[in-house]
Amino acid sequence: MMKTFPTKLLLAAGLLVLLGVPEAWAQVRDTNLYWAPEAVTVTGQRIDVLLNFIFYLTGAVFVLTQAVYIYYLVKYRKRPGSKAYYSHGNNKLEIIWTAIPTAIFIGLVIYSNRLWGEIHSTPPENSVKVDVVSYQFGWDMRYPGADGKLGKIDVNSYSVDNKFGLLPDDPAGDDDFSSTELVIPVGHPVHLYLHSRDVIHSVYVPAFRLYQAAVPGRTIAWVWFETIKTGNFQLACSQICGSGHYNMKAPIRVVSQEDFDKWQAGKIAAKAEEAKAAAAARENRQSTAALDPAADPARNLAEKKL
Amino acid sequence: MSTSATTFIPDQGSTDHGHAPHGPQGFFFTYIWSVDHKMIGLQYLWTSFFFLLLGGLLAMGIRFQLAYPGSEVPLIGALLPSTVASDGIILPGGYNMLFTMHATVMVFLVVMPLLIGGFGNFLIPLKIGAGDMAFPTLNAMSYWLYVLSGIIILASFFVDGGAASSGWTAYAPLSSTAAYNNNTQIGQSLWCIGLFVNGLSSIAGATNYITTIVNMRAPGMTMFRLPLSVWSLFITSWLLILAVPVLSAAAAMLFTDLNFGTTFFNAQKGQPLLWQHLFWFFGHPEVYIMILPAMGLVSEILPVFARKPIFGYKAMVWAMVAIGFLGFIVWGHHMFVSGMNLTLGAMFSVSTMVIAVPSAIKTFNWMGTVWRGSISFTTPMLFALAFVSMFVIGGLSGIFMASTPVDLFVHNSYFIVAHIHYVLFGGSLFGAFAAIYFWYPKMFGRMMNETLGKVHFFATFIFFNLTFFPMHNLGLGGMMRRIADPTLYDHLRALQPLNIFVSWAAFGMGLATFIFLYNFIWSLRHGKKAGNNPWDATTLEWTVPSPPGHGNFEKTPTVYNGPYEYSVPGMAKDFLPQDEKAPDGARLAAH
Repeated sequence: MMKTFPTKLLLAAGLLVLLGVPEAWAQVRDTNLYWAPEAVTVTGQRIDVLLNFIFYLTGAVFVLTQAVYIYYLVKYRKRPGSKAYYSHGNNKLEIIWTAIPTAIFIGLVIYSNRLWGEIHSTPPENSVKVDVVSYQFGWDMRYPGADGKLGKIDVNSYSVDNKFGLLPDDPAGDDDFSSTELVIPVGHPVHLYLHSRDVIHSVYVPAFRLYQAAVPGRTIAWVWFETIKTGNFQLACSQICGSGHYNMKAPIRVVSQEDFDKWQAGKIAAKAEEAKAAAAARENRQSTAALDPAADPARNLAEKKL
Repeated sequence: MSTSATTFIPDQGSTDHGHAPHGPQGFFFTYIWSVDHKMIGLQYLWTSFFFLLLGGLLAMGIRFQLAYPGSEVPLIGALLPSTVASDGIILPGGYNMLFTMHATVMVFLVVMPLLIGGFGNFLIPLKIGAGDMAFPTLNAMSYWLYVLSGIIILASFFVDGGAASSGWTAYAPLSSTAAYNNNTQIGQSLWCIGLFVNGLSSIAGATNYITTIVNMRAPGMTMFRLPLSVWSLFITSWLLILAVPVLSAAAAMLFTDLNFGTTFFNAQKGQPLLWQHLFWFFGHPEVYIMILPAMGLVSEILPVFARKPIFGYKAMVWAMVAIGFLGFIVWGHHMFVSGMNLTLGAMFSVSTMVIAVPSAIKTFNWMGTVWRGSISFTTPMLFALAFVSMFVIGGLSGIFMASTPVDLFVHNSYFIVAHIHYVLFGGSLFGAFAAIYFWYPKMFGRMMNETLGKVHFFATFIFFNLTFFPMHNLGLGGMMRRIADPTLYDHLRALQPLNIFVSWAAFGMGLATFIFLYNFIWSLRHGKKAGNNPWDATTLEWTVPSPPGHGNFEKTPTVYNGPYEYSVPGMAKDFLPQDEKAPDGARLAAH
């Protein structure tokens, strides 16, 4: 009585799959096996080699074990007169199937940790340095000015006026410029310094094969990579960070070295202008009556929140 | 089930259990404040069903939002609390509550109480030949603490600011500073209290299990004659006792950070990563706390329907012991990219690969068990067989994250969501379903309907895979966990059809659960009468009436055999109960 019923159900499910999956498949990107975005960093491509290796390894294990399993289930199904074989196991087999996975895992962990070490090796001296500051719910980027040096910061002195926590006595910070997008030159190493002003966020760029949490009160200084392709990407926060988490993103532009130099020069010039204007304004303000900071409620509130 | 306490006359001479036999009791002492381990087991079962429906409903909310962000929730939209939805449309902060509470409910109020509270209570005394638990009153208290924790966690939806919304992992300082998280101070505080109370329940239960298993085994029931389900619950209890207090302490610290100005997890004066270390020091053993009992229950069911002894009994036991030990030194694999020292991450990668070995051993032994068996495909067997396959998928996908560089890509993506659901649903819950269909006749004296059971199995199996397998692709496509609206991202917009597909499959899986619930309730009255031993099984619970009376055994059984003596050569029947001496001519082999 039970024979027809799973068959029918399987047919119905098969139909559902046949109708549904190609529909989704057709609309979804046509890049590769897993629908993963193309890896556009040097390390990203090396991670993909490892990912593929694990995929084929686990895929083979899955297909083999399941084929054997299903074969057993069909072959040893209960039939009239069939009798099970009385056995409590086999120690030789136990040793074999302990030793083989152990050997595979040892190999895999050596491979993995070597690549892990390479990915986190010391960043090259000539890297473009970027201070990436995360906050609820966005990103601020800071690039060094003409001196090529990022000004020193204190991770506990973020404020409305000092959104990068710059130390006033370090002149290297005076010409640093900020950006709301991450612009990086293709084929050039980029070294990120990750910070957070409030809670834990994370830098996640799937096409870079990159994930790293930014922890408040700390500098994470080991993230660096080199892109191999220009294009537009998105920097996403992938660590739940509050009610605006779902939309905490920033544009990433990977551009040619020329375009990057042009953009950088423009930013440095604008910063110099800005500094001049600020100095003028400061003089102006000193000549007029000093403003009571308490008179600005919006600013007070914002400072309290920080 | 109304017959349990009234019709059976317990053994007057048994000294295994301390309390005197008693006659009929009132409704209150039979069903509410019962100290009978079987009734407490059933209380756990029913309560966890309630929370299973609630947790499932929250999952449906999550899937609706991901498929149709910004649309009004049909049917129940208007009923949602104002912190979750406005005008029936789920708010981003409300979405955070949905997944936070979905995981909290499923982990602490469904899977643990169902497997450990429900089956642990019902089965341990019956399987070891004892009249009850070592501490029956503590047992009842442990159930009521669980209920209390459920009420506290449920209540948090209706307080000012709404329920906790920082994820079930509650990473500080988002969770420890109310101003950072929409002022969900009360909700997050209730979450802490709820988990603390839940932890007391777990610790009390685990103490009881360990004492019972060590001290109250029937004569002849040596440790290596224990059924694997009892072994699994024994090891799980040790994990609970060692891991849960750490979570309780962390929850208490989080509570004082939230309410009394301490700064344990504060970025300036404390250490945010401390929370993660404490949480995952509990959280990783917790993963095994939830899968080990399912492994044990499945190991119990496969031999019965393959009519074969379990393959490699001792290897199975030692593999579980190894998982128990190693489970305490792998927590850092949740933190490879958290800002933790990179070399430390590499070390945790080694221990994580090592812990995969005992899991592989178990899988091969399950396959060895069905090899040359005589397999009948009953509903419990189908769920048990599927458990093995789904556990293989969940185990293999874990290798991706265990590899540190690959984790850089898949961390916190939908690949992880796929992985944990293959282990937790395809693993723990499939194991629980197998166990429910298998022990239902012992619990209620009637069989569950096989046809409905098979519909439930195939629907669940198919929709489960249609729901969770594509999540691997979503994750590799770059979809983050815990975002309320994937269509806001350029690289995810193209994946939206797949999100919609997954959601509809999830709705199908949700509906399939009602087939199960209908079958469960219908069979209470209309199921076929079961008799003592409907499956021709060997362990002690099948030697007593269904349902067993108060005190379980009329006479303390004496155990002569291991738990899986099926198809012994030289015997007329194809199973040898544990309390029967082997007949002349039976050629038993040592396991």
